Amino acid sequence: MKHNKLHDFLLAMPGFLIYTVFMIVPLGMCFFYSFTNWDGISPKYKMIGLKNFRRLFADADFYNALKVTLIITVITVLIYNVLGAVLAVFLNRKNRACSFTKSAIFVPAVLSSVVVAFIWSYMMQTDGGVINAVLGLIGIAPFDFYATPLRTIVMISVIIAWNGLGLFVVIYMATLSTIPTEMLEAAEVDGANGIQRFFRVTLPLMMPGITINSILSIAGGLKQYDHVKVITGGGPGGATQTITLLSVEKAFEYNRRGYSSAIILVLFVMIVVLSVIQLSITKRREVKY
Amino acid sequence: MSALRRKLRIERIRKLFTLLIGFVYLFPMYIAVSNSFKPYGEIIKSPLSLPLHATMDNYAEAFRSSNIASLYATSLLITFSSVALLVLISSTAAYVVIRRKNRVCRFLYAYALLGIMVPPVVTLVPSIRTLSMLHLMYKPAGLLMFYGGAYFSTTIFLYTGFINTIPVSLEESAYIDGAGSISIFFRILFPLLKPCTATATILMGMWIWNDFLNPMYILGSTAGRTITTGIYNAIGAHTSQWNLVFANVMLASTPVVILYLCMQGRFMSGLIAGAVKG
Repeated sequence: MKHNKLHDFLLAMPGFLIYTVFMIVPLGMCFFYSFTNWDGISPKYKMIGLKNFRRLFADADFYNALKVTLIITVITVLIYNVLGAVLAVFLNRKNRACSFTKSAIFVPAVLSSVVVAFIWSYMMQTDGGVINAVLGLIGIAPFDFYATPLRTIVMISVIIAWNGLGLFVVIYMATLSTIPTEMLEAAEVDGANGIQRFFRVTLPLMMPGITINSILSIAGGLKQYDHVKVITGGGPGGATQTITLLSVEKAFEYNRRGYSSAIILVLFVMIVVLSVIQLSITKRREVKY
Repeated sequence: MSALRRKLRIERIRKLFTLLIGFVYLFPMYIAVSNSFKPYGEIIKSPLSLPLHATMDNYAEAFRSSNIASLYATSLLITFSSVALLVLISSTAAYVVIRRKNRVCRFLYAYALLGIMVPPVVTLVPSIRTLSMLHLMYKPAGLLMFYGGAYFSTTIFLYTGFINTIPVSLEESAYIDGAGSISIFFRILFPLLKPCTATATILMGMWIWNDFLNPMYILGSTAGRTITTGIYNAIGAHTSQWNLVFANVMLASTPVVILYLCMQGRFMSGLIAGAVKG
């Protein structure tokens, strides 16, 4: 078939134009700025080579932000994928209780992160917080979620996971629905018990879902901003800052756009590297039938 | 017989346990709803109970101070226009890129997917410069363009995956009848893409509606805030007045939750259709 070139051009052009101007060009600019000392305001700036990166790798704030970001990523990725997969298998039945709980788990996923963060920052107060009120009912002493930065970060990770879990459960359930029931029945006939069936049949066949979900959850965890911003603002003294928080602060509060671009670039490289590693691991395990 | 009875009992326990998970999961929602109707003193004294002296004062006060109607107007405008733009530009581009088997299109396909791993925060700082040069800063149109660039890769990825599963024969016969690509796409292919459009709409709609960082810096406050930045701003002034916080939280979330509960079936099947096929 010989297609009208003009038509094809008109169909494809708007998308690629917007994408180029508002994604590829800014991406290139981010690379470029990371080698400059641009402050975001003055029209003049100098190329300073690798100075931003050298400063970055000597910056204690950056290492702390890296640590915080990785803790959040590890905890949320584990909850999304382990708890998410287990819940999907557990709720994968047709009865009212299961469909109620499935909907219940998805409700927070439609809420905005800001709203979720406000609800939980009330709940996790040391005095008058609901979590401590509940603990008090069963005779446990009040727990101070702000006692150490680590504790706060762990709690924030759980909150993020509460917020997002629904989407991951739904994607896992979607993958489960593609598994033919004959396979599980055949395994049962062959004498495999529930646990064996899960690890030997269900799990390998869930790999496509695991691929999608782990990519979504790793990228989501690494770029965390909203919940931390609302709950601690990155404090005390920057102790709970994520990489995104740090770079946004450097860009807009300290007007160090060049340095901020370098930080963001490191984040971007991390996401790409982790996703590629992760893809090579799960893609290999995807089975065909 | 007793084996059957045991099985039934296990099944009942399992159902109860399932319900328990659901209720525990919704506990923070219960806290937000019940406390939004309590006066401040009652929240402090009995945070767990149902409201004893239910009042609408919190809502009245929140409604006055946060200007919620205009926040909704801004969020609706931005979400609808961004999703419509993304659906339009990426479905058409996906069609050309995936159906024409030539070198340019193969290159364009790879080029389009470059952005899939770029988190929007990477392009935020430079975009502020590009947008001010184009006089789009602090305008809904600027945020619209930003989303168009930021999520183009994700939506074109969904569409190309879906179009690949649709046989070309329909398009071929229309072509033989003398139809051009534009009318083939909009008359024949686009209606068939409905499940994928549903997935893209739900996913993008959720992301854009709930976005916080980008509207905060790109839109600012001059052209009206979105729900997320508006609520953040309204609450920021009085974080410890929890009665107002919860009223604001409820004003921002109730319509979204109701929309989700009403469209639940479509919501789930929409998400699933694209996710499994794509």
